[in-house]
Amino acid sequence: MAVIDRPAPPAPPPPTQTPASRWGRIRYRARVLLAEPTTLIGIALVLIFGYLVIAPLVAIVSDAARVQFGDDSRAGAPAGSLTGYYLWRVFRSPISASLFWEPLSHTVVVGLGVVVFAVVLGGSMAWLVTRTNVPGRKFLAGALVVPYMLPSWTFALAWLTLFKNNRSGGTPGFLETWGVQTPDWLAYGAVPIIVTLGLHYYPFVFLLFGNALRRIDSQLEESARVLGANRSQGMRHVVLPLLLPSLSSAVLLVLGRVLGTFGTPYILGLPTDYAMLSTSLYRSIHTRAPGVAAVIAAVIVLLGVLVVLIDMRLVREQRRFVTIGGKGSMDRATDLRRWRWPAYGLAMAVFVTSVVVPLVTLALSTVTYAPGVFRADNFTLKFWTAESIPEAVGFPHGLLRSGDLYEAMWNSLRIVGMAALVCGLVGLMVGYVVARSPSRRLSGTLRQVSFLPYLVPGIAFAAAYLTLFAVPRGPIPALYGTTLLLVVVMAITHLPYSSRSGISAMMQLGREPEEAAQVAGAGWLTRLRRIVLPIQKGALTTGVLLPFISGLKELSIVIMLTTASTPLLTTLSINLVDFGYRQQANAAVLIIAALSFTVTYLAQRATRSNLATGLGG
Amino acid sequence: MPNIELIGVDKSYVAGQYAVRDLHLTIPDGGFMCLLGPSGCGKTTTLRMIAGLEQPTRGDIRVGSRLLDSVGQGLFVPPEKRGMGLVFQSYALWPHMTVTRNVEFGLMMRKTPTAQRAQRAAEAMEMLHIADYAARYPSQLSGGQQQRVALARMLAVDPEVMLLDEPLSNLDARLRLEMRAEIKRIHQRSHATVVLVTHDQLEAMTMATHVTVMNEGVVEQTGTPMEVYERPASVFVAQFVGSPPMNTMPFGSADVAGPGATVADYVAARVGRPPTDGTGGVRPEALHIAYADADVPDGVWRAPAVVDTVLPTGSAWTVQLRCHGEPLYVQSYRKIETTPGAEVTLWAAASDLHVFDADGRRMTGWDQFLREQRSGQRPAAGPAVASGSGR
Repeated sequence: MAVIDRPAPPAPPPPTQTPASRWGRIRYRARVLLAEPTTLIGIALVLIFGYLVIAPLVAIVSDAARVQFGDDSRAGAPAGSLTGYYLWRVFRSPISASLFWEPLSHTVVVGLGVVVFAVVLGGSMAWLVTRTNVPGRKFLAGALVVPYMLPSWTFALAWLTLFKNNRSGGTPGFLETWGVQTPDWLAYGAVPIIVTLGLHYYPFVFLLFGNALRRIDSQLEESARVLGANRSQGMRHVVLPLLLPSLSSAVLLVLGRVLGTFGTPYILGLPTDYAMLSTSLYRSIHTRAPGVAAVIAAVIVLLGVLVVLIDMRLVREQRRFVTIGGKGSMDRATDLRRWRWPAYGLAMAVFVTSVVVPLVTLALSTVTYAPGVFRADNFTLKFWTAESIPEAVGFPHGLLRSGDLYEAMWNSLRIVGMAALVCGLVGLMVGYVVARSPSRRLSGTLRQVSFLPYLVPGIAFAAAYLTLFAVPRGPIPALYGTTLLLVVVMAITHLPYSSRSGISAMMQLGREPEEAAQVAGAGWLTRLRRIVLPIQKGALTTGVLLPFISGLKELSIVIMLTTASTPLLTTLSINLVDFGYRQQANAAVLIIAALSFTVTYLAQRATRSNLATGLGG
Repeated sequence: MPNIELIGVDKSYVAGQYAVRDLHLTIPDGGFMCLLGPSGCGKTTTLRMIAGLEQPTRGDIRVGSRLLDSVGQGLFVPPEKRGMGLVFQSYALWPHMTVTRNVEFGLMMRKTPTAQRAQRAAEAMEMLHIADYAARYPSQLSGGQQQRVALARMLAVDPEVMLLDEPLSNLDARLRLEMRAEIKRIHQRSHATVVLVTHDQLEAMTMATHVTVMNEGVVEQTGTPMEVYERPASVFVAQFVGSPPMNTMPFGSADVAGPGATVADYVAARVGRPPTDGTGGVRPEALHIAYADADVPDGVWRAPAVVDTVLPTGSAWTVQLRCHGEPLYVQSYRKIETTPGAEVTLWAAASDLHVFDADGRRMTGWDQFLREQRSGQRPAAGPAVASGSGR
């Protein structure tokens, strides 16, 4: 009697199940894929980004290693064949010093100089505003970010307007008219470049460093004090180690930006032949030396990648010290006592130097005949409004009277607007696919590919696009000079930012609201239109506005790719600089500054958020 | 109204690892099926596959005569065409729509005429007592109110299949009790087939007409709540259903000689062949404490134990004891008069013992023995088989 035995086997499966053939499974997966286009969109995005990001870089490398058209006699090989000629020319030839090594050393000097300048200025301001009881903290927190909203070369133009000497022609500087002949080192080259770029980039450090300071729980420092550390020991052993990662992150970001910046070294370096890598690249392209340009661009890309990789490593380290502040732990500000007002004076001085002085200088210069002379008969509005200025042959009318200005403005708004719109929508789309795609591999790939442009400094990217799209390739026609190319480049360079914000917005939303609509019977388009887009309205607005604001001021990318037929505000102002029409050039920059400032302000009002924090991130 | 059938369904996200494996499940028409199991057991995946939000790697899913998924035939009906209702754990209310718009959305998708739409939405909101909040946005509602909106949103379209994914887990204890009754009432009124996912065995016991206990992607047992409670098919089910969980004693661990036989010995003495390996179990409420040997009825299983601690809950007393070194719980509705460290005797009626084999499956032999004994085919093994938990 086997009473204790195994349980009865489970009932055999009902016979209704269809055997799963391989063919059936494939058809099933296809049905699922086609039921909603997320995966297809994801694949399309990966392919498009892959082409638009990777193809230009490949083109650079290939151009650097192949004999370019017209160089066959110099390189000693037919056009198109493999060659080490350009490498030799850039790195070893007699002119390599002026082509590459000097610009490289200048870039290093300027980079380090700007970093020191920005860290000292931005770091001390961040500490004052976040950790002390300096008066007007709220105002300063906003005011000290303003320099970053102005086009970077605003400061360069203001500098020239003040310190220019008679070495370069055209309108004299303020000091020159006052009878002071400034030395070359003060008027052009390393010193002014470092100071002006430093003034533009310190808000970066101010924001990143300030955020880190704000996050540090003052109880951490207080615990150290209670355990017997004095003020400086607490600083050294607790606060500084916690700040180090954000500091290094800010430093590397500034370095990366300096690497790709064009306007300032172009304006302040040119008169004394002080070239940086970006200006050397520009010169090589202008003198029709695409092979050399490709080599320099490749070096810039490499340096850019290096900087970002180091930064990513450090940021990963930083994760280890995410400090979650307790409730109300902050706001134990250091009491400055009798230094309160001097500190306020210092902070205001920084604000005045970095915002008021440049803007007022530029504004004054546009309404005076001779700069720096403030007599009633010296003031004029002719550079803004005159019907004709016969002595300025290249631009013979006041800025506001010129059709060129309105054309450039329209072009800027149109092209940048389109790029920003594309960028914002695509960014959200990337977020959508990353958050919703059932395939982890697809979402991972998409995330990475959309981040790639971040590695490439703008000017190198532009050079790569120039290389790639100057001639028709396969089914893609030569796009050089077209609006489309500008839109594409601008959208692609801002893609990392917009897709990052798109991803975080979609991740935060989660998939459930959409799934709820799906179960309720809404098809894909309906869901997108009635659920996803309305909920993500805010994220989309930010995703469009950020690229728009930074695109308006963009110079390094567009300087390579615009032609006379599609002038933008930024290129118009650089053209005026080239002509030596200081007043009109300054006026054009003021217009850009006003535009970008107004849009930022309106955007902040509209989204009720602080875009400045977004700019820093 | 339809049966829901899952036939040989597999779901794997990574090749070789199964979230759900070879699932055969029939949810009867108009039934209230609870998918019960710990987190990660595949219950939510199963629910989402019924909704069409996840797709099986193998197998068929059908509702009535309508085939919704068939991997073999390459057939897939997308979620929006299944006409089901689903309430999410997070409620997933649309933050940019008012309560009314949320509730009306499904009707709008079904192209219900405006007048009728408004009326049905109003009815659904009335039924869940949220008519007063019709113009509010979800962010202006409390958690319990949001829950009601989510239910109203599902009810408005009057679906034949209602799917509920841990709908009560974000509510506090009091609201949970209230909503349990609410959901049960909705089911009774609508006659829809309801599938509810939960990890709370009490929810399953109180609301469902059928319970499926899942573990690691596999169904452990399907049955009515009482069947699952009274005859758990495996050690896992025995421990998952019931609170405090069923006491289990591995046969091997209790090799202590003495007056208290191990469950294995007790069982072997009655059915003949001693099982070498396995687990015995007894529910805390079927386990009794005797302070003197004379208080123990004849023929029951008994074992010595030491009292660890007494936890009064108001309506009952939970006592933690140690028996052969293993912790055991006794749940009693009579006052327990003992102190920590006291030596007592535990006993349980033969009919309250559950016996599982080495794989953790219920041994049918023991159940058969009990059945035969009850029907008089077998002589009683002892003079008195106490009537269990009633004491």
